[in-house]
Amino acid sequence: MAAIETFYDVMRRQGITRRSFMKYCSLTASALGLGPAFVPKIAHAMETKPRTPVIWVHGLECTCCSESFIRSAHPLAKDVVLSMISLDYDDTLMAAAGHQAEAALEDTIEKYKGNYILAVEGNPPLNEDGMYCIIGGKPFVEQLRHAAEHAKAIISWGACASYGCVQAAKPNPTRATPVHKVIIDKPIIKVPGCPPIAEVMTGVITYMLTFDRLPELDRQGRPAMFYGQRIHDKCYRRPHFDAGQFVEAWDDDNARKGYCLYKMGCKGPTTYNACSTVRWNEGVSFPIQSGHGCIGCSEDGFWDQGSFYNRVTDLTQFGVEKNADQVGMAAAGVVGAGVAVHAAVSALKAAQKKSQSQPSKEEV
Amino acid sequence: MSQRSLLVGPFNRVEGDLEIRLEVEDGHVTAAYANSPLFRGFEAMLQGKAPLDALTITPRICGICSISQSAAAAAALGAVAGRPPADQGALVAALLHGVENVCDHITHFNLFFCTDFARPAYAGRAWHDRAVARFTAMQGSAARDCVEARAQLLHIVGMLGGKWPHTLAIQPGGVTRAPTARDRIRIASTLRAFRLYLERVLFGAPVELFAGLETAEAVLGWDRGDAGLFMEIARDLGLAQSGRGPGRYLSFGAYPLPGGRSFAAGVWEGGSLAPLDTGEIVEDLSHAWMLGGAAHPREGQTTPDEDMKDPGYSWCKAPRLSGRTVETGAFARQVVDGHPAALDLARAGSSVSARVAGRLLEIARTQLLLESWAGQIRPEEHFMDVVDIPHDGQGEGLVEAARGALGHWISIADGRIDRYQIIAPTTWNFSPRDAAGTPGPVESALVGAAVGEGEDTPLSVQHIVRSFDPCMVCTVH
Repeated sequence: MAAIETFYDVMRRQGITRRSFMKYCSLTASALGLGPAFVPKIAHAMETKPRTPVIWVHGLECTCCSESFIRSAHPLAKDVVLSMISLDYDDTLMAAAGHQAEAALEDTIEKYKGNYILAVEGNPPLNEDGMYCIIGGKPFVEQLRHAAEHAKAIISWGACASYGCVQAAKPNPTRATPVHKVIIDKPIIKVPGCPPIAEVMTGVITYMLTFDRLPELDRQGRPAMFYGQRIHDKCYRRPHFDAGQFVEAWDDDNARKGYCLYKMGCKGPTTYNACSTVRWNEGVSFPIQSGHGCIGCSEDGFWDQGSFYNRVTDLTQFGVEKNADQVGMAAAGVVGAGVAVHAAVSALKAAQKKSQSQPSKEEV
Repeated sequence: MSQRSLLVGPFNRVEGDLEIRLEVEDGHVTAAYANSPLFRGFEAMLQGKAPLDALTITPRICGICSISQSAAAAAALGAVAGRPPADQGALVAALLHGVENVCDHITHFNLFFCTDFARPAYAGRAWHDRAVARFTAMQGSAARDCVEARAQLLHIVGMLGGKWPHTLAIQPGGVTRAPTARDRIRIASTLRAFRLYLERVLFGAPVELFAGLETAEAVLGWDRGDAGLFMEIARDLGLAQSGRGPGRYLSFGAYPLPGGRSFAAGVWEGGSLAPLDTGEIVEDLSHAWMLGGAAHPREGQTTPDEDMKDPGYSWCKAPRLSGRTVETGAFARQVVDGHPAALDLARAGSSVSARVAGRLLEIARTQLLLESWAGQIRPEEHFMDVVDIPHDGQGEGLVEAARGALGHWISIADGRIDRYQIIAPTTWNFSPRDAAGTPGPVESALVGAAVGEGEDTPLSVQHIVRSFDPCMVCTVH
């Protein structure tokens, strides 16, 4: 195998200063939840380790993951995309087209056998022998199996690759199938969301490059550092939930005051993602901040859970859903009393929460 | 006389997958067949779902123009209810949509289109070194400038819509977020920063000056900024003579506001503008792998033919307006809106240069619109009316995505979606042949394109195809 440059070499070649490089390392460390002690470690790894080649392929999808990726927050992140990790093959951004592009894919696989990360955006449709997604005359599922064979690890970008996403919605006309059901003999890390947050995507990649291993995963195979917390638990509107203050209709006074969107169908209480902490578009905002409930796009099956505007009814841990209803009704009449009742109930529930892991019964 | 058949694809740097079969004779294309080899079946999935779910599901057709899809879905649902959105809601929706369209245009220009001019095949041309420095894929300085400017501009969508792509804020009654006075200032300053990018990098001149160009000559002869570099290349390669469209331009009209649409709706042909009549739209299935007959999207169905029988060759349906093909996109929009330079260009017929010029003119004009809309935000007013969606009814939602006319047609029965049909811009432009054998706009635009001996991926074909800014995931959905 030919000698591969280090990340630092690549970055230097792109004219990135030492200062910016160190800044990138410290930002990355904090994004990954690592202390300042890890900054030199990340820097060292980037200076000495050969860069990891990445092959990025697309199946049934909408390219939203790529779109999200090229908007990561740190100014260097665009260099992460455009040079540092070196997307050796990416059909959305690369220069080559046609047979040249197919040749480039083969070359990359051959050159970095066993060493590259395969990033998959979208998923393969299996109906009709995969004929619903044809790339270079062959079903995407074949390209996927072929590229996966010599990959070191696989990243399933977004809800499509991780779970199936909207194209797998009933009746799933093309039998769109998540990657882990097709490739079963490789380590797969799922980075769900529709799309995933840019910083989460670059964070996951940087971690894998720096430490040369997969980050700690949760039971669903998602990196725990980004998917370990509920949107609800870190939501800036959470105090309003606890206080029983809810938006009852779009653009009502409560909406203007930024009350909780639970009654508008917010799926924050059942969704694990970093939206309420990392936020979107370079930390500007996230859906709940824009006044629309979370739709739970980083959870399996979010597309087929009844209407997106229906209230969540399978809250685990807290068991306040019925109370929120009652509070809502009471609030229409006796606002003060309703809030007080709910606040009391919330405090009780909070005390119980450690013992509750089953979906709650209707208890008060 | 030499004859050969050529299969060009995968295209890359297009949204989704695309393959084009070419018949080549004596170094020129004699016939082209556009195939969209990707099918997901959104219309089937929507059936039986709650009507409002269309607001979440349809944007996921496309990660590049998701706001267009969500605006069309909201408009279709609003039409069922017979209610327009709140005035300020329409304004914020226009801001969100305008930002996305401009972002799409600069992405197309820098990342998808001009990249081909950096190819080694053009080495030796007077402009090649500059094209390599600016436009090389993933490395060129223009790509970096563009990615950064775009990310900054999308802060507006972040602020007003919570996230991009797949923004959820646009609803039939307006938008979910009432901007604050602080938001208004941030929007204005973000737009000022974007103006600097346009004036320093893309146009090399004030936005007003470029938007105000009045003749084809002035546009095609532009010599400043990256726009100037492209025009220089286009003149050298004769791109104004390449990729002739059908000469009929369709626009549904962009940005519906209380005072009317900011870019007009209509159909332009041979110097005259006719009003838009969507009742004249029929989707022909004769050459698509689809079962059923030709129908108006109100009655249309999407049943894939699993046997993929001949003469079908694409998952794409063939929409026709009054039985004829039409071209749609930024250039069509500017022609229909009556922009003098666009009209002047249209007199010579559409071309690779004209389509890119249309996009550049529109970037400049949209920047001016965005600035004016930002100034009209009134934080104290209502941004959303409560709109109850009837249990039964039909609606049509028409918007202009970056790539052209986008329509959603919804039927609701018993409170559930009974039928949902979508015609995307690229469905018009990249449609296969119809029952009469008439090729789609791109298929006919490719006829006559030069193919060099031994060229497998002919550059002329690349330029023509990409000048339409195809979005294949929207095409077939």
